[in-house]
Amino acid sequence: MPELVTLTIDDREVQVPKGTGLVETAMGAGIEIPVFCYEPRLGPAVGACRMCLVEIEGMPKLQAGCTMTAQDGLVVRTAATSDKAAQGQNATLEFLLLNHPLDCPVCDKGGECPLQDLTFRYGPGTTRMVFPKRTFDKPIPISPTIALDRERCILCYRCTRFSEGVAEDHQLVPRNRGAQTLITTFEEEPYRAPFSGNVIELCPVGALTSTQYRFEARPWEIQNVPTVCTMCPVGCNVTVTTREGKVKRILSRNHPEVDQGWLCDKGRFAFSHLRAEDRVTQPLRRVRRRGFATISWEEALDETERVLRGAGGRIVTALSGSETIEHAYGLAKLLRTGLGAHSAVLPEETDVAIDAFRLPLSAIRGAELIVVVGDDPVAERAPVVDLWLKLARRGGAEVVTIGAAGSVLTAPGSAAQTCRELAGSGSELGRRLRESERAILIWSSPGGHGGAEIAALAGELGFAGKPGSGAFHLPATPNGRGVADAWAAASDDEGPNPEPIAVLVVSGDEAASDPHVRALAERAETVIAIVMFERVALGWADLVLPGTSYLERDGTAMNLEGRLQRLRRAAIPPVADELSWLSQLAARFGVDVSPYPAPVFEELAGTVYGGLTLGELGERAALAERAQIPAPAPDPDTEPARPSDGHYLNLLPYRPLFAGAAVERVPELQFQRPAAEVELSWDDAQRRGISSGDEVLVRSNGTSATLRARLNRRLLPGVVRIADEHARDLHATVEVTKP
Amino acid sequence: MAASEIVLAGAADRDLTQIDAYREVGGYATLDRARGMGPQAVLDELLTADIKGRGGAGFPMGRKASFIPKPGQNPNPTYLTVNADESEPGTFKDREIMLRVPHRLIEGCLITAHAIGSRNVFIYIRGEYLREFEIIRAALEQAHGAGLMGDVTIVLHRGAGAYICGEETALLESLEGERGQPRTKPPFPAIAGLYASPTLINNVETIATVPAIVEHGGAWYADQGTEGSRGTRVFSLSGNVRRGGNYELELGTTLRDLIYHHGGGLPGSRRIKAIIPGGSSVPVLTADDIDTPLTFEAMADKGTFLGSGAVIVIDDRCCMVQLGLRVAQFYMHESCGKCTPCREGTRWMVQILRKIEDGRAEQAELDLLLDVCDRILGKCLCPLGDAAAMPIASYVDKFRAEFQAHIDAGGCPYKGESSLERVFAPVDQHTHHPTVEVPA
Repeated sequence: MPELVTLTIDDREVQVPKGTGLVETAMGAGIEIPVFCYEPRLGPAVGACRMCLVEIEGMPKLQAGCTMTAQDGLVVRTAATSDKAAQGQNATLEFLLLNHPLDCPVCDKGGECPLQDLTFRYGPGTTRMVFPKRTFDKPIPISPTIALDRERCILCYRCTRFSEGVAEDHQLVPRNRGAQTLITTFEEEPYRAPFSGNVIELCPVGALTSTQYRFEARPWEIQNVPTVCTMCPVGCNVTVTTREGKVKRILSRNHPEVDQGWLCDKGRFAFSHLRAEDRVTQPLRRVRRRGFATISWEEALDETERVLRGAGGRIVTALSGSETIEHAYGLAKLLRTGLGAHSAVLPEETDVAIDAFRLPLSAIRGAELIVVVGDDPVAERAPVVDLWLKLARRGGAEVVTIGAAGSVLTAPGSAAQTCRELAGSGSELGRRLRESERAILIWSSPGGHGGAEIAALAGELGFAGKPGSGAFHLPATPNGRGVADAWAAASDDEGPNPEPIAVLVVSGDEAASDPHVRALAERAETVIAIVMFERVALGWADLVLPGTSYLERDGTAMNLEGRLQRLRRAAIPPVADELSWLSQLAARFGVDVSPYPAPVFEELAGTVYGGLTLGELGERAALAERAQIPAPAPDPDTEPARPSDGHYLNLLPYRPLFAGAAVERVPELQFQRPAAEVELSWDDAQRRGISSGDEVLVRSNGTSATLRARLNRRLLPGVVRIADEHARDLHATVEVTKP
Repeated sequence: MAASEIVLAGAADRDLTQIDAYREVGGYATLDRARGMGPQAVLDELLTADIKGRGGAGFPMGRKASFIPKPGQNPNPTYLTVNADESEPGTFKDREIMLRVPHRLIEGCLITAHAIGSRNVFIYIRGEYLREFEIIRAALEQAHGAGLMGDVTIVLHRGAGAYICGEETALLESLEGERGQPRTKPPFPAIAGLYASPTLINNVETIATVPAIVEHGGAWYADQGTEGSRGTRVFSLSGNVRRGGNYELELGTTLRDLIYHHGGGLPGSRRIKAIIPGGSSVPVLTADDIDTPLTFEAMADKGTFLGSGAVIVIDDRCCMVQLGLRVAQFYMHESCGKCTPCREGTRWMVQILRKIEDGRAEQAELDLLLDVCDRILGKCLCPLGDAAAMPIASYVDKFRAEFQAHIDAGGCPYKGESSLERVFAPVDQHTHHPTVEVPA
């Protein structure tokens, strides 16, 4: 229990733990100390804007309240009780407004602008500035997603501090000095970084605005819907702004255990895929060889019923892992109990063993030793987790990454082997993990048996008995675990894998884009695809039923921590959602599926989530306790890594953060997508006389691709990395040559 | 006069940039003695000497040094940083010290480092001081060659042309390779300074005084000057005087003595209109204050500061509005842009002053100017904002009639006859200094 101190703010006695920030202390007592530059998530207070000036008894000068902490006996007076403080705050606002344009009526921030609000509360009612205001060129597109208006900027340095001290991308910087200071990107390159959009939200004025949201809506005509992003397995809490039923922007919604109020650019900007030009808004039937004809819902349901009945149970279902739990359950119940179709291609499994080492993501911040095992950069699998790791590192934690591009280099695909070594008695790092009370393991690679490998290691290191130590598995899909739970909850029966496949039911655009699912489709007599985008299904699906997006769904999803979170429908989908037609279809097979998510959840929660209710989830869901499960035995036959012979290189394909059917349909995000390039280690590039930027030929047996070379000094020699969308047909070993 | 010299002692008749010459006047003997004493004993001499910092703020050096955690109290290393970023308009004493007695500065560094248990010394030298840099570098090489460094490393770091980097925390930021902007205090550098480690920062002159204090004892030093202002100071005399230059004088000498006796008074029949007693950032004095002693306390009584020890004599040809504009332009140009009142306020002050000088100002704008000064004063992150507001407010305060005349007459009453000759350089000369390259 920290020591409590008593201080006085505006004649009110306040008791808080020693060291609490003065701004927070006052806020707790219902007293406002206004701020612009202060934002504790950006690191120590800088005291730059001088908005928070307060009078402290015994100090001759006004003090920046944001830089102070609660001390015993402190007597503080804010503008409410001190003329001096009020005059100081008024002065700050007068200075800030001197050169600030009076364009509030056309500014996106107008109506939700801290500068506007604080001016009303503390500022001068009129201006004494009679000189021409400082002008700059504007707006400057610092990236396709962000516009910068330097005239509105009040130089609080929140954005540059975020770039330097939170995202650590070092791209946004102040240039020049004094009144000529301006915010710019380094070398005026576009701000290309996975978390750039956060600066829009951090900006306390309308200087940094979203190009998607510019001039789209005013704060008094919007609705904000609290929901959860399911573009990746982190499940960041978000607020979706809609106007007249259309999504206009997505903001972070601070869940202190999950995302700390940060959001990646994919979660923030990808929403315009809802309005993609090839969005499926009616059921489609394949006609001739390539092309679709729209059909009515009645026809579509008749056709689906006919196809499914005719399959004689020889049905395989491919799921994406992006469905809500309710949607997956409805589908599973129809197919499994109505048609006995138990065969499914499920998204990457998650092993329950990981639940024994469960921690909130925020525990990473408090860890002293973090070991990330695997070949994939964390930011590509679960972006916000990368920010937690950076925060931990800045706080003094040691972060060790072990993989083909890690701080400790291992051959690709040897993550499981690494786990074995860490568990062994000879590993120094393993010994330190064992001895630490606050150690964290993260699996960031494909495979690993859904976290079972990392859970086995955590078990061997004795993490079960240490509440500060835990393990995370970063899965490939946003809600694979929830979907698997739902599939399992629908039936206990099992069935053989049908051969030949009469009907392949493909749920979701991710599954429909998966080459393995496409291969399966080749063998199926009929393919039914439930997708959002026509082009995804074009040429191979026989019947297309319209899909919806996570922004259009009510329901639940489980994130990588094992936290069950609630999605809220922000926008009305342009078509009936999956549950509503699934319900009708199910009725034709005598299966009862509610068209509404809430009763569906109630039904399945009774079997898999111990009767949890939606009410209990709330707007910021809590994390369930650690499960008491014995750790699994490690998998004895881990596949040995393939060493490179120097000539042939091992191809390590990766799935970039900015990829997928949704991202492909957002014009503003195209610049974030990976270039057609191959990452080479320094050694391999040297040996072949290749430098960064060279055009190179990447060849494997029978296939080849021309890509641009990029040197990655962290990469293990003998390995090349290529984004999977550019590596599509290449085999596991490749040759790289200059043409 | 030579009798009162401590910092510059011996430099009049010898080339003390050479280590042998410096040794002939007893140089580096004190270093050996100090190293034989315990660190606390050295610190005690500094405390007894009661020397106030010579950079401008006048904080007692011994007290500041004793805030540095003792060995074992802090896991981080302790640093000594010497502020040689002398940039205050009118101030040129540190360059004189570096040009003429570089070894005294180095000896001071080594003794002070010993006193605070530091093995790493940084000298942050103003970028434009190329000659000084080379002389210090040569002296450091000589000291190295003579095996005087012990386990101490002295790093000589050149600034890049920013006045703000003379502010101690901005200096530390710059030294760390960051943008030169001040930090909020606390924590003070003595606890968390360079690389978040305990750091003692002192001005060149302060450090160069240390050898004499340890050689003759703190009590000897404290005997000189006045009770509130011990020892000597190197005063930079400039402006409209016959013999401008650096004069090391016992504290307590009057302005009259400095200006008339040492400086030879004003040329021709000109009369003193105003005196800036401590660099461009301090409130101005008038001719009536000529008998004010040069001490911290006497200046405080007059509502101003001894500051950096730069005394600038303004004669009766000078338009105070023009002087104000020149000073304000300097601070606008040098404001780092971090905190609001300084960044925006200095620019506004320049705009208003120019309007007054051009005769376009309205009556209310004179009070507005004072109000802007008041709104900057005491509300900024570092002293730069105050440094801009204080002098301007004092010019209006003490020469209000002259400001009023600009408004009444619709223009400058000097009608182009005013001269700011020799009163610190206009700001565009600061902007366009040629880039100096260090020869390899």
